[in-house]
Amino acid sequence: MSLGVGWKVAVLFLLALALAQGEVDPREEAKRQKQLLLETAGILPTELIVEQGKELFNRKGPKGKTMAECDFGLGKGVLDGAAARLPRYFLDTGRVEDLDSRILTCMTRVQGYKPEQIKRQEVVAIAFYVASFSTGKPIQVRLLFPQERELYALGEKLFYARSGARDLGCATCHISFVGRRAGVLPYADVLGKDQSWTHWPAYRYSNDQTWTMQDRIRACYGNIGHPQPAHYSLPILALELFMAYQNNGAVVEEWPAFVR
Amino acid sequence: MKVKKLLPILLATPLVVALAQSYFAPSELELIKTGGKAYAEVFLNQRQDQALCSLYHNRLPADLLPKFLEEQRALIKYPADGKLMGDWRKGGAIFNNLQKANCFSCHFGSPVHLGGDVGPSLEKYGLKRGQSEAVQRYTYEVVYNAWAYFPCTVMYRFGAQGLLTPEEIADVVAYLLDPESEFNTKPAVGSK
Repeated sequence: MSLGVGWKVAVLFLLALALAQGEVDPREEAKRQKQLLLETAGILPTELIVEQGKELFNRKGPKGKTMAECDFGLGKGVLDGAAARLPRYFLDTGRVEDLDSRILTCMTRVQGYKPEQIKRQEVVAIAFYVASFSTGKPIQVRLLFPQERELYALGEKLFYARSGARDLGCATCHISFVGRRAGVLPYADVLGKDQSWTHWPAYRYSNDQTWTMQDRIRACYGNIGHPQPAHYSLPILALELFMAYQNNGAVVEEWPAFVR
Repeated sequence: MKVKKLLPILLATPLVVALAQSYFAPSELELIKTGGKAYAEVFLNQRQDQALCSLYHNRLPADLLPKFLEEQRALIKYPADGKLMGDWRKGGAIFNNLQKANCFSCHFGSPVHLGGDVGPSLEKYGLKRGQSEAVQRYTYEVVYNAWAYFPCTVMYRFGAQGLLTPEEIADVVAYLLDPESEFNTKPAVGSK
């Protein structure tokens, strides 16, 4: 009898705890979970993916070259701070590229892989590895080339666009309802104080996902029942450039990040 | 001669008007097309009212409001039988379904799911407001087309965008208003 009551009390306590956790700042909760994982497993999923990315980075492609032969914007093989300066325009391709696209370019043009041979999970792992060299670096994105300015302008318009059957767009929530919540998580101030651009690429512990900003943007569209832009497409790059530029000067706390 | 000079102007006029009302330039739509067919179509088919809300970042200038509200009001259709309150049980299944109307994600008050705080709290909606014809009509119309009352608001235009039928909207109205409805008889999840 008393056992039954005790069990009920325990369940109620856990429920109350779960509800209370809904009120906790998701960033604080992520820090707590990260610490717990470190204490129990001794290693973080982010570290494992970075190691995987390192192996892929140093793997020789069909042309016999590793990715150390690639230029991520600061010269061949220079990774220190390179990811914090993306997206940017590259003279060799004549295109604006972000981390994901530049990895793709590197694998196809320098290493000689065919586009259909490139697995998304490999690109993500390499993105985790390359980004890891930008921890502690400030975001420095410029609008120097006309192509950069053109995509920035498109990104801004897409950010404020209302479209689809649900009339939604990024700004509908991330400007008008910052801090409020639909579901569990409060809407991040992605252009302002939350510096959301510096949170990706990241590992999401709540559903065991490894995502770059491209995946995050696609998920956002998916959540609002809106068709998603294809990976590596210009609308994604445009939104990224717009957000990155708004986050200029923000220091990357940790790449890859560990988020809820 | 005169007609020849006028013709290009006459032909160009509707084009100029159309361009002035579109949000994305044709060159921008070309860039958007790289996102894929389904993604691009949403922007190629962007509605006139969506374009206005986009262009003005959801705060329409005062001089555009009367026409905008009138157009939104004109989109509202009513159930064939004229009843604005349907079956509250069916309405509950719509209100509390994430894939369907997803009302609880933004509004507090559901006895089934913990509500969000993007929209106003609807806790004990019917008990607080009664079931007068005016309240029924207001509730129905806001669910059918929120933009007829709150231009460019985040709330979905359930009827105007074809997300719910008039009958389904009447069911949701009943869920909110009917004193017998669990929405009004059971405590909201998270209620203090």
